[in-house]
Amino acid sequence: MNSGIDLQGNFIKSLMDLGLPSDLAKAIWMPVPMILMIVAATVGVLTSVWLERKISAAAQQRIGPEYIGPLGLLAPVADGLKLVFKEDVVPAKADRLLFTLGPIIVTIPVFLSYLIVPFGQNLVITNIGIGVFLWIALSSVAPIGLLMSGYASNNKYSLLGGLRAAAQSISYEVPLALAVLAIAMMSNSLSTIDIVEQQSGYGILGWNIWRQPVGFILFWIAALAECERLPFDLPEAEEELVAGYQTEYSGMKFALFYLSSYVNLVLSALLVSVLYLGGWDFPIPIDTLAHWLGISPANPVLQMIAACLGIIMTVLKAYLLVFLAILLRWTVPRVRIDQLLDLGWKFLLPVGLVNLLLTAALKLAFPVAFGG
Amino acid sequence: MLKFLKQVGDYAKEAVQAGRYIGQGLAVTFDHMRRRPITVQYPYERLIPSERFRGRIHFEFDKCIACEVCVRVCPINLPVVDWEFDKVSKKKKLKHYSIDFGVCIFCGNCVEYCPTNCLSMTEEYDICTYDRHELNYDSVALGRLPYKVTNDPMVTPLRELVYLPQGVMEPHDLPADAPRPGSFPEDLVQKANS
Repeated sequence: MNSGIDLQGNFIKSLMDLGLPSDLAKAIWMPVPMILMIVAATVGVLTSVWLERKISAAAQQRIGPEYIGPLGLLAPVADGLKLVFKEDVVPAKADRLLFTLGPIIVTIPVFLSYLIVPFGQNLVITNIGIGVFLWIALSSVAPIGLLMSGYASNNKYSLLGGLRAAAQSISYEVPLALAVLAIAMMSNSLSTIDIVEQQSGYGILGWNIWRQPVGFILFWIAALAECERLPFDLPEAEEELVAGYQTEYSGMKFALFYLSSYVNLVLSALLVSVLYLGGWDFPIPIDTLAHWLGISPANPVLQMIAACLGIIMTVLKAYLLVFLAILLRWTVPRVRIDQLLDLGWKFLLPVGLVNLLLTAALKLAFPVAFGG
Repeated sequence: MLKFLKQVGDYAKEAVQAGRYIGQGLAVTFDHMRRRPITVQYPYERLIPSERFRGRIHFEFDKCIACEVCVRVCPINLPVVDWEFDKVSKKKKLKHYSIDFGVCIFCGNCVEYCPTNCLSMTEEYDICTYDRHELNYDSVALGRLPYKVTNDPMVTPLRELVYLPQGVMEPHDLPADAPRPGSFPEDLVQKANS
């Protein structure tokens, strides 16, 4: 396995070649991946909003946005601009501080979670040891923000929506964590890089989805519930609760909720692709491919292509999952709140536990295949 | 113990069943994606209104004898007929006639009962104004004929579903002389005679 391109090293080295001191070069490097990641996340959101509108239209035999830019590509941009220029209303009897704080608390952890999403061997902001655990921990901050905004709006619908959001997030975090635990057990690490590393080498056959099919489904259902996507969009169920905790929000604050919900969706899809679908791994191992073509693995062009392919593969897998989520949205009706909690606690939790025990047993029995 | 296992087995079976149903549903939605959109791209494409379409009412001023039958048959006595008795010709002379289309329900009773056929239905359905009072059409506005969809070079006319040939669901790219389902009364008469 080659180590891919070392962007950081090359960047710092080239700056130092220009005559800058090494500390300054490192300081210049630091914000680059962060800004890049924020931009990538935002572009990812715009793309998924556009996909959402186009695929929804196609599923209903409509055309969808067509005249705003080519193929309606600029429709999400227009949405965003509209929201930016809208008046920012705070209801008279609302708690001003909490009302403003809510959307911020919801948005920041989602963006922060992009820290651990790898697009390649070195294409990750930080390769921290706790990896996926950081994401789980950060995602449990969001319900606080939701509850806060629901409470601060001083509106019954908002409060109900906020309470539902909190209940849903908390109960679906458990099966989510269990599914991740099984993966962590197999790869002996929580770091996303290690998890992908452990899956690579055998191409599509090595991906975790074959060893963890139950975990995959479990994780996907729980992730959908965490993102409040349609079968589980109870917190904002528009027929019952107007718009849930978003009812009183407008302008930029609403835009933050909107943004974070889509960032969360893309993030979940990315994590599913990292945890179960081999991340940046090509379905056929690159090394084998290079061997067939008679190219040395150290060839710089090959490394370049491999890195690009890695990014493309990660994004492609993630967007396939986003597509699935959108398709599910128009297929599955919304569940009731009691059904939702039943599904979480009485079905996903026991299945997750059994899956975990099974993984442990298999790990002991076949340490070769299950990362002993 | 056995009972418990059976319960677990049944539960698992139900879960698998539910998963299969969701899969079926997904297949249906996925299949919809490759179908052509059924939407009519309105300002650029328009449906040809059906033959019995009851659109805005057309009025011919010169034919009107100011009998006010239209007012009597109207559910809300909507048409305003302003006439004066002309002593020389000993006839009612119509001065103004108006219908407020903001109130009209397009039931067509006036058209049905008009003794001189001075009222008729047009195909116009998109009467839009910035002020509701502009919907109150006087005799001049009522006398205007709408532009036919089929003659408008800016618009692609599309046939309604009923007027498509049997088995065809797609109004786009249909030849202009494509037959519509069923036969006209005159065709039936001809068939009976021969």
